[in-house]
Amino acid sequence: MASMTLQTDQPAQATSSSFPGRGAWWSVCTLLAFGLMEAALFEALKIAPTEKTMGIYQRIFYVHVPSFIAGFTAFAINFLASVAYLWRRTLKADALAVAAAEVGVAFTAIGLITGPIWAKPIWGIWWTWDARLTLTLVLWVMYVSYLMLRQLTPANEQQPRLAAVLAVFFFLDVPIDYMAIRWWPTQHPQPVFFGGPKSGVAEPIAVAFLISAIAFLALAALLFWQRYRLECDRQKLAAVRRELALRQA
Amino acid sequence: MSAPLSTASRAAAAERPAPKFWRVLARVVYRDLKLELRSREALQAMVFYALLIIVIFSFAFDAGQELTSHVGGALLWVAFLFAGLVALDRVFLRELPEASLLGFQISPASRTALLAGKFASSFLLMTAVELLLLPLFAIFFNPPPEARWGAIVLVLLAGTWALAASGTYFSALSLHTRYRTLLLPLLLLPLAIPAIVSMVQATQHLLDGRGMVGYWLRLLIGFDILYTTLGLVLADAVMQTE
Repeated sequence: MASMTLQTDQPAQATSSSFPGRGAWWSVCTLLAFGLMEAALFEALKIAPTEKTMGIYQRIFYVHVPSFIAGFTAFAINFLASVAYLWRRTLKADALAVAAAEVGVAFTAIGLITGPIWAKPIWGIWWTWDARLTLTLVLWVMYVSYLMLRQLTPANEQQPRLAAVLAVFFFLDVPIDYMAIRWWPTQHPQPVFFGGPKSGVAEPIAVAFLISAIAFLALAALLFWQRYRLECDRQKLAAVRRELALRQA
Repeated sequence: MSAPLSTASRAAAAERPAPKFWRVLARVVYRDLKLELRSREALQAMVFYALLIIVIFSFAFDAGQELTSHVGGALLWVAFLFAGLVALDRVFLRELPEASLLGFQISPASRTALLAGKFASSFLLMTAVELLLLPLFAIFFNPPPEARWGAIVLVLLAGTWALAASGTYFSALSLHTRYRTLLLPLLLLPLAIPAIVSMVQATQHLLDGRGMVGYWLRLLIGFDILYTTLGLVLADAVMQTE
């Protein structure tokens, strides 16, 4: 309503779209993601049967693996967006990359925290330096240093390029880490899915896992989209500020 | 020296084809090593720094045959890694005061060749320092007599290659950032961890004269190829004019 009284050369509808995710569509998505999280929690704690050998501790699997699926998906998006930036040099690609990296770091952190919580009662130790655990920790450290690079580079047109070339280099670790439990003998359990004839789980466990995986991906997508919109707005603001500074000079 | 170029010679310079990749690379290496041998700045700092680390380690641990056959490889590589970081931090630093990097970037010469040349010169510099320090390490740490020194030198070359290949790339990347000296190890070390594990393990197995050296050496060479390829592919993007 305020836009009616303001005398600007910008069209009035620009103000409503510059607040990210305040529409009805956004509310529906948010509710859906939270509903899925609730359903996943209910499935994981109530519906799914207690596993035979690991007992109650196995239930953390419904958080541990989905968070890594979401995290690795985010890193893959970060990689693709970085390649796209190097190719086309569009700021949108850079916004996608930074949003994906932050979401990836957050979800990988969840996986790295839930892993030791499971390991303590099952293995008797919190942590061991096998190939999978080491590579995953390294992966997390890498993307933290990617975010640090973004913070320590001056905010000009150099920043997206430097971040993008770094991201392409760092993504090397993701496929190696995924294959680690298939290539090397590790203390980390062998693959539960896509791991040959001996892998796979009973149906109720698979259902609970699938719902958890979808819920975590939905939550990650929600956060990712919000962060992406925020980054786009930040870029617009930076452009306006630059122009203002040029006009004043 | 500031004689203005005639229009004719300027046109001739514009028409001249871009210099060949290997020629640029060789010139960069030649120039870098010549400058380094003149000033010996990095060389002195690296040797002295690594020597201090080796000395401090020998006090921190009770250096003897048993220790060396357990953690000798790790001690050796920590010293080399720190010395290498000194070299890698300085790779592009020399170009800043006279803006020679900018000059290179606007010339028709391949930017990939520049990065490859910088890699080659830092590889040679790091290797020279390491070969100088290896006998000192052998004196201070009393390695077991079954240590295979010839093969250790081979691992040293492969390991230095991995550090120099990824390090030169990250040195170029962090050149224009704030806290450059701090950021270089923060970016390089996480990426290099798998390679560092391989070089430490291979050296360790060679020091106590047993174990699966071949496996770790193959893994290390795999990382060499990976880092070199990716570095060359992305060289142009990382070396662009700002």
